[in-house]
Amino acid sequence: MTVYFVVYIVALSFVPLIHDTLLAQSRWLGYGTGAYQYQNQNYFILFNDPYDGSSKPHIHVNPGFAPAARISLLEFSDWTSWLNDHNLFNEFNVTIRASPQVLDVAYSRPEIVIHKYVEASSESVKVTLQSEKEFTAHLELWRWVMTSINGISIADTTKPLVITPTTLIEFTFEDERLQSVGRGRILLSAMPSQVEIWPHEKGFNRITIDFVNSMMSLTVSGSMEAVGTPSPTWNYALLPYVLPIVAVTVVALYLLVVKYGRTFKNRATRRSS
Amino acid sequence: MEERSRIVLLAAAVRLAIAPFFMHAGDVGTIYESSIMTLKGLNIYDFVYAKTIQMQNATGLPVFFEGYAYHPLLIYFFAPFYWLFTVIAGTGPVMIDGHYPSVPVLIYPWTPLLLVMLKIPIILADLLVVYLLAGMDTRKAKIYAFCPYVIFIGVVWGMFDALVGLFLLASYLVSSRNNFLSGLFYGLSLLKLYTVVLLPLYVIRLFGRWKAFAEFMGGLTLTLLPVAYYLVVSPVSVWNVLVTFQGTRLMGGVNLYNFIWIVQDLPFDLAVSMIPNIFLVIALYYLITKFGRKAPLLESILAIMFAYFLFGKVINEQFLVSIFPLILLSRECDYRVWVAPFVFIFLRSPFYYFMLPILWTSPVFYGYYLQADDVWRQLQAVGYLQIPMYAVGVTFSLLIFWNLIRVVDATRGVIVSATEVSEPN
Repeated sequence: MTVYFVVYIVALSFVPLIHDTLLAQSRWLGYGTGAYQYQNQNYFILFNDPYDGSSKPHIHVNPGFAPAARISLLEFSDWTSWLNDHNLFNEFNVTIRASPQVLDVAYSRPEIVIHKYVEASSESVKVTLQSEKEFTAHLELWRWVMTSINGISIADTTKPLVITPTTLIEFTFEDERLQSVGRGRILLSAMPSQVEIWPHEKGFNRITIDFVNSMMSLTVSGSMEAVGTPSPTWNYALLPYVLPIVAVTVVALYLLVVKYGRTFKNRATRRSS
Repeated sequence: MEERSRIVLLAAAVRLAIAPFFMHAGDVGTIYESSIMTLKGLNIYDFVYAKTIQMQNATGLPVFFEGYAYHPLLIYFFAPFYWLFTVIAGTGPVMIDGHYPSVPVLIYPWTPLLLVMLKIPIILADLLVVYLLAGMDTRKAKIYAFCPYVIFIGVVWGMFDALVGLFLLASYLVSSRNNFLSGLFYGLSLLKLYTVVLLPLYVIRLFGRWKAFAEFMGGLTLTLLPVAYYLVVSPVSVWNVLVTFQGTRLMGGVNLYNFIWIVQDLPFDLAVSMIPNIFLVIALYYLITKFGRKAPLLESILAIMFAYFLFGKVINEQFLVSIFPLILLSRECDYRVWVAPFVFIFLRSPFYYFMLPILWTSPVFYGYYLQADDVWRQLQAVGYLQIPMYAVGVTFSLLIFWNLIRVVDATRGVIVSATEVSEPN
């Protein structure tokens, strides 16, 4: 009976690994109380952080030299974004529906329904805002921090800066833990009315984009390259590999205690009697 | 003063000293909210079901609002004490929005008084268990009275599994003398529903002894009348909250199944969560047919509850309290098994889950609370806590398994010797 049970424990401990390798790639997965995530070879996307409802979406890049690491690339914030002067987080009814490839988030108010579609491919992540009516938008995209945006660095400005409206925003960033530098780009489907960048200590932490349209897509892509020799780092994505080791270790300890603990106890009992 | 009374009084003093200052915001919040609704004559199940529908519509996921999902009788243990509280403090709000992950707003100076009042039924249940145990063995009564795990669950968190423990113990103790009372107490132990796995055991033991069977079922039926009432009044809500939610919950807790928490794919998780159910049915069938009629009732109850702890999908930290008095009564079991769920509490629970009111009394304390909570969330986010949680879950399952094997082995011996006595040749 004991053998069956420990085999059961060890076998089940492989479930996360099996799911991770066979079932979790390149499709939207819902969990918790309304959070969604997507993982492919290059990007990890979180939508609706389970703790505070932020990250709508939060795009991470998986560096080729450290595939399990998830490095923040860009976060779309509903907390600080407005559509038709209504805050996206607090002033809309939100419903989320997922198909394997597209996450469809509907923001509705009595006068308007705006869809946010999030689609990922191996090259990029496309976030599209679309409605049947024209709407005004103020979007805030965050990263802590970007070292330069469209060639402008923190040395060039210490105050929020309105840059020339453009459909292509390119930024750079660094990751000390991985000793690496990264590049990101945001390609807009139409010309915005205003783009502003916001300095914060060692770089820029925010890009705000204003536009009036019935449809706008922002295609985000990013990559990283190692500068030094990054030391191996722990990451949440490694957990599925660790749990079977934990299961085998605990089970082995149990078997040892049951076997030798009893022998030891018997010896002690014999000696004392 | 006789020792029995001294132990009970000391146990009461310890509990009353702790009760005003701590709580599990989610569970105490649910009892508080449900007590208010009960006094207003509102249907608790309709409220929970409406919230569930709202969440499912918003997220597109098979998620459930985790509110009052218990036997209807449970709230009537708490509502009178809430009513007493309102006599003193009025009906103004004391705890606003206590559902995870929202941090509740607590109103002072009434919060400590509310906590004491809502914990009185739990404290009384604990004291009755101590009193009953002390009547048989004062050492065991002391273990229960001062066990850090039991105290934590009852008066730090404010969870009511002690009521389940009391009624299960009472059902066992009176079973040889009064089947009606045994059925009544067993029915009351269903306050938290998971003791339903014991029903086939009681049925098979009394099967054929029709008078005893009828008495037992009479007692049990009495406790089920409120369920029947709600099933008539709001069948969809009750079915969704008590059956669909409890039956299709995501596995996990202090057990070998909490690995599922790192698999962030709810439909997949729910499908995998059916696996333990299959083994639970097999284990229950085996134990009940093999030992149900012949083995002593105490060992049979424990064997079945242990099987539930091994193959039940959800084993929360507090569940062990419900069988802890019975474990203490059994010579075969090692009561130190409580250490595993106790350790698990500190690995799994964000700061939100305990210590709240005492840290809410000043902005300075609250600032410290938020900082500590932030550290916990960071540890959680990178996955550092999941590893020890899983290790403790597997360890607890193995300790339960070890106890189950001991109970089954000992029971097998009893059955064999009983057979040898009855068939000497």
